Amino acid sequence: MTFDAKAFIAEQVEAVRKGVSGKAIIACSGGVDSTTAAVLASRSLGDRLLAVYVDTGLMRKDETNDVARTLKELKVNHRILRDEDEFFAALRGISDPEKKRIIIGNKFIELFEREAKTFGADSLVQGTIAPDWIESGGQLRDRIKTHHNVAGLPANMKLKLVEPLRDIYKDEVRALARALGVRVAERQPFPGPGLAVRVVGEVTPDRVGLGVVGEVTPDKVGLVREASAIVEHEIEAAAKEKRLTLPWQYFAVLLPVQTVGVHGDLRVYGQTIAVRAVDSIDGMTAVFSKIPLDVLDRISTRITNEVPGVNRVVYDVSNKPPATIEWE
Amino acid sequence: MRVYVVDNGGQWTHREWRVLKYLGVDTKIVPNDSPVSDLKEVDGLVLSGGAPRVGIDPEKMGKNGDYIDAFSGPILGICAGHQFMATHLGGAAAPAKVPEFGKSVVKVHQPDVLFEGLPDQFEVWESHNDEVTMLPPGFTALASSPNCSVQAMRHRDRPLFGLQFHPEVEHTQFGPDIFRNFLKVCENST
Repeated sequence: MTFDAKAFIAEQVEAVRKGVSGKAIIACSGGVDSTTAAVLASRSLGDRLLAVYVDTGLMRKDETNDVARTLKELKVNHRILRDEDEFFAALRGISDPEKKRIIIGNKFIELFEREAKTFGADSLVQGTIAPDWIESGGQLRDRIKTHHNVAGLPANMKLKLVEPLRDIYKDEVRALARALGVRVAERQPFPGPGLAVRVVGEVTPDRVGLGVVGEVTPDKVGLVREASAIVEHEIEAAAKEKRLTLPWQYFAVLLPVQTVGVHGDLRVYGQTIAVRAVDSIDGMTAVFSKIPLDVLDRISTRITNEVPGVNRVVYDVSNKPPATIEWE
Repeated sequence: MRVYVVDNGGQWTHREWRVLKYLGVDTKIVPNDSPVSDLKEVDGLVLSGGAPRVGIDPEKMGKNGDYIDAFSGPILGICAGHQFMATHLGGAAAPAKVPEFGKSVVKVHQPDVLFEGLPDQFEVWESHNDEVTMLPPGFTALASSPNCSVQAMRHRDRPLFGLQFHPEVEHTQFGPDIFRNFLKVCENST
């Protein structure tokens, strides 16, 4: 026996219908989990459901437009919020990864509670999947990392929580997404706290003067966003040419490490980008992807040439365990 | 067939439940302080791994000892569950000289029903700080890895099995086969 998507849909559409008596909002990042949960819940609730997407300023390149398009195509009642200033202000001065995750989680809930009030909803649907609550820990289980949608929830939250995907993993969510006709079924995972956990250290948008003298480097989030876009583009292009199998996840991380380089006969003291790519089925164990060296070479050359301030690129060769997939 | 997973707080407890579910078993995750009387209709038990370190905080292992003493069906202890089984029955577990995290290779020395149909050497996934350092009386070691001499053990008469590695995760080779073999034992003893 394997996963029976049809039976699961029937079972959960009924469960959501029973679980929500009035109206509900669903927290939707546009990723596979929350989009699939939105489509499922929308089958149960129709117009009594409102999907809320928040642009935190920590999203990938063109992500917000892409998500808006997806939700429109899927005919899910939705609302797009832009709150990047609030998120950056809340993260100022914070470099501890757990604190970052909790601050972002709390901010999300604050916004969702506000939206729920306006919409008249008493329930919050989330696309929480098994690894989210497993890694968030509780009682006997150690906390590996705070998943904002689980451990970021305040104890006194008034909204009733409904989580139809709680007992399944990403591979099963993808099967479900395919059965529901969700375009983003094969999209790579992207963490809820977004690029905040891919900038190791403080997430300030205004650090200056690290590159060539007199030149201003972009904000750290902008920098990791550009580097990630290059990693995604090159790996997807190589996969298209059948040079490699598309990894489970592939992205860039900005390290809080500066190193010496030479640009045009001038000394630079620049930023370091780590490239991460892993193969996995369920996110609970993972091996680093064996990306061909010439593909890594291209990624490295492009990042150090196209992303101002970066003069070094390293490739992460750790498995999970002992590492986790994301760096924070 | 009904096989429950006793939750000792592992990252992969829920994976054990998933593998059993995929194998068509009636299964449920139960807290490790469930009374043994709740397990009357159950054909087998899996004692999960977990954050508790059996040498340091054995009280976090709840009623695992009662299950080992009073449950008559087959029991498969994994990681912390395996180490607890050893200490509870008179063996010992202690911090490993070389803890193993991630990929390793086990060698099967002693053919056993648990490894039926498997090669004598295969890749497994590990995640442990402690290990079994002395087998309990009546137990035989079945397999080892370069850094851990007791990767698998079983009781000679009772259907008690212990595995240091994690057969429930995707990256361990032959994981579902090991569970299938354990289920055969459960089937034969009911």
